[in-house]
Amino acid sequence: MASKSVAKKLKRKTSRGPSANGAQAAPAKWVGQPIRRKEENRLVSGRGIFVDDEKMPGMLHIKFVRSSYPHAKIARLDVSQAEKFPGVVCTLTGAEIKKQVQPFIEIGPGGAQKIADYPMAVGKVVFQGEPVAAVVAETRLAAEDAAELVEVDYEPLQPVVTAENALKDESLLHPAMGTNRNWHGVFTYGDVEKAMKQAAHAVHIGRLHFHRFSSTPLECNVIIATWDPRSGDIEYHCNNTFPSFASQFLSPALGVRIDQIHMKSFDIGGGFGIKITSYPYMAVCALASRKARGRAVKWVETRIEHMQASAHGNERTFLDTRVALDKNGVVLAIDSKHVDDCGAFPRYEPLGCVIWAQVLPATYRVKNIRIDMHQVVTNKCPVGPNRGYSRMQHLWFMERILDICGQTLGIPADEMRLRNYIRKNEMPYKTPNGCVYDSGDYANMLSTAKKLIGWDDWKKKQAAARKEGRWIGLGIGSTLDSGTNNFGQARIINPDAPFSGQSKVGIVKLDIYGEVVVSMGSVPQGQGHETTAAQVVADALSITPDLVNVRPGFDTAHNAYTGHTGTYASQFAVTGLTAIHGAAMKLRKELSRLAAWKLQAKEKDLEFGVGAQGPEVRVSGTQKSINYWALANLVNVNNAGMPESLWDITLNCRHVFHANFQIPDVKRKYGNLTLTYAAQIHTAVVEVDRETFQPKILAYACVDDCGKAVNPRIVEGQVHGAAAHGIGAALLEDCAYDSDGNLLTATFSDYTPITAVNMPELLYAHTESPSPFTLNGAKGMGEGGAAPVHTICSALQDALYPTGVIIDDSHNTGDSLFRAVQKAETGGYAGMVQVEHRRPSR
Amino acid sequence: MYAAAFSYHRAASLQEAVKLLQDLGDDARIIAGGQSLIPLMKMRMTRPAALIDINFIPGLSEIQNSKGELRFGALARHADIEDSSVASAIPIVHDCATGIADVQVRNQGTIGGSLAEADPSGDWGTALLALDTTVVCFGPGGRHTVPFEAFIKDAYTTVLAHDEIVTAVHVKMPPKGSGGAHLAFKRSAPVYPTVSASVQLTLEDHNTCKDVRVILGCVGLTAIRAKEAEAAVRGKSLSEKNIQAASEAARAAAEPQSDMRGSAEYKRALVATLVKRAIAIAARRARGEHAEAGHEYVGR
Ligand SMILES: Cc1cc2nc3c(=O)[nH]c(=O)nc-3n(C[C@H](O)[C@H](O)[C@H](O)COP(=O)(O)OP(=O)(O)OC[C@H]3O[C@@H](n4cnc5c(N)ncnc54)[C@H](O)[C@@H]3O)c2cc1C
Repeated sequence: MASKSVAKKLKRKTSRGPSANGAQAAPAKWVGQPIRRKEENRLVSGRGIFVDDEKMPGMLHIKFVRSSYPHAKIARLDVSQAEKFPGVVCTLTGAEIKKQVQPFIEIGPGGAQKIADYPMAVGKVVFQGEPVAAVVAETRLAAEDAAELVEVDYEPLQPVVTAENALKDESLLHPAMGTNRNWHGVFTYGDVEKAMKQAAHAVHIGRLHFHRFSSTPLECNVIIATWDPRSGDIEYHCNNTFPSFASQFLSPALGVRIDQIHMKSFDIGGGFGIKITSYPYMAVCALASRKARGRAVKWVETRIEHMQASAHGNERTFLDTRVALDKNGVVLAIDSKHVDDCGAFPRYEPLGCVIWAQVLPATYRVKNIRIDMHQVVTNKCPVGPNRGYSRMQHLWFMERILDICGQTLGIPADEMRLRNYIRKNEMPYKTPNGCVYDSGDYANMLSTAKKLIGWDDWKKKQAAARKEGRWIGLGIGSTLDSGTNNFGQARIINPDAPFSGQSKVGIVKLDIYGEVVVSMGSVPQGQGHETTAAQVVADALSITPDLVNVRPGFDTAHNAYTGHTGTYASQFAVTGLTAIHGAAMKLRKELSRLAAWKLQAKEKDLEFGVGAQGPEVRVSGTQKSINYWALANLVNVNNAGMPESLWDITLNCRHVFHANFQIPDVKRKYGNLTLTYAAQIHTAVVEVDRETFQPKILAYACVDDCGKAVNPRIVEGQVHGAAAHGIGAALLEDCAYDSDGNLLTATFSDYTPITAVNMPELLYAHTESPSPFTLNGAKGMGEGGAAPVHTICSALQDALYPTGVIIDDSHNTGDSLFRAVQKAETGGYAGMVQVEHRRPSR
Repeated sequence: MYAAAFSYHRAASLQEAVKLLQDLGDDARIIAGGQSLIPLMKMRMTRPAALIDINFIPGLSEIQNSKGELRFGALARHADIEDSSVASAIPIVHDCATGIADVQVRNQGTIGGSLAEADPSGDWGTALLALDTTVVCFGPGGRHTVPFEAFIKDAYTTVLAHDEIVTAVHVKMPPKGSGGAHLAFKRSAPVYPTVSASVQLTLEDHNTCKDVRVILGCVGLTAIRAKEAEAAVRGKSLSEKNIQAASEAARAAAEPQSDMRGSAEYKRALVATLVKRAIAIAARRARGEHAEAGHEYVGR
């Protein structure tokens, strides 16, 4: 499978800016350094600029009235009392909005196209917290007071809460669709049945479940919308993290051209993906502004609103899994039915139904795979891409298979992985569905992670502890963070989807007084883009990062965007930085041409650097030089006498990153879905207290490999953050609904996001397998692949091995483990895992 | 999240506070640390028409050791008690203060407010029942005291009349040879415990339990005194078997409800465990040994 030619082909064609002859950048000096973040001082000294800090003249405030029912007909809705309340300017209802907008576009094919997703409930509500009306008032207090006066009568309908129930189609969320199943497709590669026949061991695994959790960013959604009645333009100050996607949804819904939608974001207090789907609220705020004759309307989401009705991560159930293994425990084939639950409206979905396939075989060599993929709608909060999006669910499933099969066959977790990992010498590795893993050495990462935690010592301690009746387990989680996605994979979902590939824009200019200014299309939420962009530009121009001014945040006015622009899917280190590098190299080339003319030298004799008068270009071996101020002056305000051959120089250089992606083969569901594959391998030692059943993490180690780290300090920070997120998900955080569809965890007291007191000490190591496909060998890595969820489940499985418990859920609490042990004692796991040992026919 | 509108009144003295309570009527409420009241107001689950701020009344924050008692002003903050060397004379008090919520809440929340709120999961309501505690109240008739056993009547309900204020909490110093521990099981810092248990016991010789109190928190409408659990060890040796019997009796005495913190059955298991552990720590402390007790959190 290894194919050097694949690497070469991709390498050659991945866009990295013009080759700058005579103006070649010096070798990397700043890229790779753990310099402190440029944005740090500003952010920690209270000078961050967040949307809620913004005030506009005459600004109004909006409050949503939300459904307390998960599924109900709206029998009566009366806003008249609210409208009379002092300070109220207007109200909006779903019925009113329906006349003014088109439903949002649906990405899914067929029946999914019949879903009418309006920004507020029309006729019926389909999840608890869904907005049914809005009140717009002079003050936030008046809006909140008046919202209480809106009268709504509901006629409850039967709620659909679980994926399995949704499939029964007894109660339909969107009757026009005719079913609750909004997507279905079979992904099949190799010859699963043949492998099953040849297997030495066939293992059947019952239901596994990956729970719903979210991201709890410090800053909830915030929007200020102004719909200018004169121009018809809409201006947004908001913290949506994929503005290009949002405007492609808003434009047809609101009936405005995309160039009429101006979007601005500055600093964002965390996003993790779930702010991508804030566009329904953006639509309502704009409509409210229009109704208020162009006054700005601000919405600041409360935490309860955020928990109930922003977005949750995807929940997934894995049914009827069959695994074929050879006599050594090497996995030959996997066959399984997966049901993804996307909540009440698909929105970004059903993209998750293909995005998992970026990591189809996980870190393993298995060639024969058949996944029967379903997605259903349920009466729960719609999902949005949540850090580790769609891949983590699948990677967790694969890790559970490895652990369950390993335990069944008596093969230790580390051995099991070593026998199945893709080898270093097979990289770049082509997966059965045509993805190309660019680089990586999983075996080495595992051995590093074992060393870091003191695996062999813990094994001995575990053996001794088991004799005392203690439940101590050692766990491994291998995960991938696929980055720089090919939007062409959407065609596998819907052959008519009009998008593919990937692109990002960077702009580097020399302003009138010679300042180096970078505009990005990215929407950073803590990833340190100002810093890494400055490092890249500093190297490209042979200057220092402090001389590079990076404009924070996104602004359509910067014109630094394409339709792919946003910060999502682990990619800035590749897409954003390559675009910025390309722009910087264009600028360097322009500076070089200009300096050659002014200094009367050959371009090849020029040298870039920082002199006594700031950044400059000089003729090597001479005293002749010209600084950036003088160069900018020549083009901008002092250009008489400049030869016509230099008139194309603008010193305002824009570069668009492209990856060499093709449109996948839709029939075979085959093609290259992502460019880079960062990996993390974690190890953990977890003890389950025999009396309280509480899992305690005794030791924890993370090893990451994201190729060349542009800034190792930022990479380590991202690993820490993702580890905390994952540990929280594994042990604390759960968007739990009761059987009537009520969200039980709408406050932090119930959702219990992880806090410092729950965190173990993290041991950390970085290994480096540069990507052959990217500039500088970097890979995107911010999502982290939910490694702790896999790792903690693996450790719990090992800890509870003597009890017969099978860890079949991604979320485990003292309470659930207490019940699991009871279930094991009464034989409740019998039949959950069935093994058939056979003599292979070969 | 904005509270419904209310008027704000700052009382300069206890007398003025009482007068304001009377004048402003039933919809007026005292505000101390605001750590229970303000969240409820923001969610509009409670909507007082007037708030009477007692934080500016002098002399309500003291922590003193006097006449064989630890005396806490009603406004003593959880954090003040946590840091007080005077208060650490009774270890169970220190255990309790240290484990409440997070630093922000401890900096604001008060011991008087906790008792007045009478949350079934509140830590003070559990820990102070293990000791001889009196609540000092002030009302139209002046100052009077209420034994703590009689102070909390039901969930969120005390004996205080509308125009009465808690001014102090007095805790009798336990006798020599007595030790106690307050343990709670929590999911993360800024949330109420799932289950808590307080034990105060006095040893006669090294291992015979002369007297004991076993209190269970979060598993009933009010903290529960588990008398059968006490009987299992009172006057007996602290043998493993007797402690086990006490722990089983405590499990039976609990009346938990299933909620997001855990199922009822699981909470009973936690009660049994925490009581067993609290007895062990209390006994060590009674013998003069140093023993750490604190809250347990998920993960570590
Ligand atoms: C996130 C969070 C987590 C928490 N976790 C815990 C925990 O783990 N354990 C725990 O025990 N507590 C916890 N608490 C509650 C905290 O301890 C509060 O401080 C306490 O419940 C109330 O005290 P307060 O001074 O803030 O009272 P306030 O909120 O000001 O008042 C509460 C009630 O008591 C009345 N009141 C206040 N003072 C007096 C007085 N002197 N006389 C008469 N009436 C009075 C008020 O009118 C009001 O009805 C938590 C709170 C929060 C916000």
